[in-house]
Formats: sequence, structure tokens, C-alpha cells
Amino acid sequence: MMTESWGQFKTFEGKKFEALDPEFTKEVSTLIGGQDLTACFQCAKCSAGCPVSDKVNIQIHEVMRMLVFGFKDVLDTDMIWLCTTCYTCQERCPQGIDITDILFGLKNMAFRAGKAPSGYLSARQGLYDTGRLYPPTEWEREDLELDPVPEFNIDDTKKLLDKMGLMKLEDDTQ
Amino acid sequence: MTQSYEVFLGCAIPNRFNNYEASMRLIAKELDIELIDFEGASCCGTVVLKSIDEDSWLALSGRNIALAESRGHDIVTPCNGCFGSLKDTDHVLHDSEEHRARVNQALNEIGLEYTGTTKVRHFVEVLYELKDVIRDKIVNPLDGLRIAFHPGCHLLRPSNVAGFDDPELPRKVDELLELTGAKSIPWNLKLRCCGSPLLIASEDVATQIIKEKNASAIESGANCIVTNCPACHTQFDVQVLGLKDENEQSLELPALFVTQVLGAAMDLDREMLGFELNRVSLDPVKEILGL
Ligand code: SF4
Ligand code: SF4
Repeated sequence: MMTESWGQFKTFEGKKFEALDPEFTKEVSTLIGGQDLTACFQCAKCSAGCPVSDKVNIQIHEVMRMLVFGFKDVLDTDMIWLCTTCYTCQERCPQGIDITDILFGLKNMAFRAGKAPSGYLSARQGLYDTGRLYPPTEWEREDLELDPVPEFNIDDTKKLLDKMGLMKLEDDTQ
Repeated sequence: MTQSYEVFLGCAIPNRFNNYEASMRLIAKELDIELIDFEGASCCGTVVLKSIDEDSWLALSGRNIALAESRGHDIVTPCNGCFGSLKDTDHVLHDSEEHRARVNQALNEIGLEYTGTTKVRHFVEVLYELKDVIRDKIVNPLDGLRIAFHPGCHLLRPSNVAGFDDPELPRKVDELLELTGAKSIPWNLKLRCCGSPLLIASEDVATQIIKEKNASAIESGANCIVTNCPACHTQFDVQVLGLKDENEQSLELPALFVTQVLGAAMDLDREMLGFELNRVSLDPVKEILGL
């Protein structure tokens, strides 16, 4: 069976917590939504309402604990990519932590480190090449007397995405 | 009292739910809402691009907002994904000078600028404001339609960004649906995510979630699911096909768009409401809808 490039951190058992990295906690705190990260008091309310709590190896409150401890292996947890982005945890956190937004930042970090599901790689290529995730289905539109979807200037979006370095994200990692 | 918007369709609706667009346009016409074609729109970026790189997402999504802004228009979208992405972008660019500067630097090179004057709205928000007008147009009551309404996540949460309805006890779209004589019934997993964003990372987990959702809707006694989002609808009307519970009972349930329900109750042309394109069989609710 092929080993996935993501989600390989499956249990805390036998893990040593010595090499904690306060710099990593700081780095995550500067992400969009990361400002209140260290206010987490581990009530686990986030995990209580999370739709994938019973489907992941590492739950969201454990991800939060790993972040507070500066435990970089967090990028290898399945929770990062199995988060549906439903924002239930963020809506309910008693400490007002922007949990879902922090997860987006962690996904960005994992992507740059080559730890992303392959679907995201092809989605990036498609978005860059066509500016869309899916093409229109023209025959159905004609049946319903819908006009064609307006064209757009693909060169503009390519220029924009080049400027942001979308196709070179992996180069950032040392 | 004509309202006017550029309509942001996104990628998923023209790809697989042309029935949603057709029914939305029919309703808009009926309610005197002007929908201007959105020239030059790209993908909204959605949670996919946001997951890959937030700067790229802000730039791509910010470009869409800036385009409408350059033409002096507000935006309406019938997609929760696009709504969430555009609203969230607007929120970040509004609050963070640093991000706004970076995005505008890139946008300037293609002759655009984000200043934040354009409003982004979901089509159901606009409909809710026209509740009284809609009430007067109901001529074909849908008695017997028991709806498990699925609001979807990004229409409601995070509530400080979405700003539409109570995130824990939403009722606005339910109110709209009940104007038709249908019943919006309570169901256990109503607020639970449909799982559609996971189709890209793990179809297996996405499938587990849609099975739980539909089992809950069926258990509640609903005879249909109603959504206001093509991404959610992909789960309820495409991915669900052929799924069964552990007793080999089918988990399929007719899946309708909010605009199709309203359109049927207003007695608009059924063919143009696009019911032919709904994948899960509509047989159980055919008569109620007048098909
Ligand atoms: S709900 Fe908030 S405070 Fe409680 S464990 Fe989760 S992140 Fe920490
Ligand atoms: S946003 Fe992600 S982590 Fe939070 S509750 Fe939803 S799926 Fe779980």
C-alpha cells in the first residue's frame, strides 16, 4: 500500500516531548487568526462539536495543545487535512480562538513542506492553468436557455498568481 | 424597488447544477431583482486555494471583488463556498492593512484596486429581505413537503464574517421555505457540515459524513433535503447515489435547491426550474411539486 505524504503522526504513544520549539508557537501565532492561540485552556469543546472527531487519529483540541507546546509534528497529523473547514469549533471556542483559521495556516505550512493530499496539487495546477476548478457544462445550459458563462482574461490571473508565487511555494522551505 | 447585483456563479454551478442557476434567475425575474453578468470572474479560490496559500487566495478572490468594485456594483452569489470565500477575503482585507497593501500591489499590476466599497451577499439573504413579496406570490402551496433544510457552514459561520443568521439556531431560510406551506422539520445533524470540502483529501471520510447526514434526515421523517449551495448539493445529490445504511436501506433522499422549492410554490415553469437535472429520484415528492 502506498504511504501517504500526509497524516503520518498517528498517536502520542512513545512520543517524547523534549524538543519543543517556542519559535514554532510564535510563528503560528502570527498567522491569520493565530493571535490568541496561547489562550487555549484545553477544555476540548472544539473537539466535542467537530464532525470528524470520531474519524481522525489526532483531534482538534490535541492539535491546539501541540501548537501551544511548539510541537512541529502537528504538520503531520491527519486533523489538518481532514478538517472540513466547517468553523463550528471557531464559533464555539470559549477563549475566542480562531481555530479554523489557524488550521488554514497550518495547511499552508504543510503544503509548502510537501505534506498535502495529491488532490491539492492537481487543484493548484488547474486553478493556475484555467482560473477555475471545474469547466462549465454547456449543453445543459443551452437546454435551460442559460447564456454562456462570461469569458475572462486568464493572463491576468496568471500574472497575479505568479506574483504571489503560487507555483513555487515549495521553494520557500529550507 | 429594483435591486441590482453582479451575479457571481463560481465554478460548481455552471459545471453541474445549471438547474440552480436557472431557478435562481427565474425567481430573480419574478421578484424584480436585476442580475448582471459578472464579466471576467475567475474561481473564488474557495477553501481549496485558501488551504494551499492564503496570499494567493486573497489575491485571486480580491481580484473578483475589485472587478465588481471597478464597475460600481454589489455582488450576489447563490453559492456558500463563493459567499464564504468572498466575505472572508473582504473581512481580512478590511481588517489587515498589511494584507490589503500586498494584495493591492499585485492588483495594481492588472489595473485593479480593492478599497472595500462593494458588498457581498448570498442570494438567500436578498430573498429573505423580500419575504413579504414572496408570500404574496405563493399560489401553489406545497402542503406535505417535509424539508430537512441544510443551511451549510459558510452561510452561517464564522458568524462575525457571514453576518447572516444565528449560527446555532438559524431560522431565516426556514422561514422562507415555510412560506410555501412546506414544513422545515428539526433534525439532529442539521448544522453538521455535509463533508463536501473533504472530497479532495479523502472521499472515504466525505462519504462517511454524508451517510450520517442523510440517515439523520431520513430518521427525522423528512421527504426531501433542501440546500442553498452547489458544494453541499454535490454531496446530497451526487455522492449519495447508491449509498446504503448498514441494513441495506437506501440513504438517498430527494435533494432540491431552495430556489426550486420557491419556484414550484410560485407556480413557475417546472421545466425551466430544471427539475430534470436533479439526480436523486424526485418520485416521492413529485406530486407535491407538481411535476
Ligand atoms: S475550545 Fe478553545 S480553549 Fe477549548 S480546547 Fe478548543 S481551542 Fe482550546
Ligand atoms: S472547522 Fe475543522 S476542526 Fe473545527 S470543527 Fe470543523 S472540521 Fe473540526
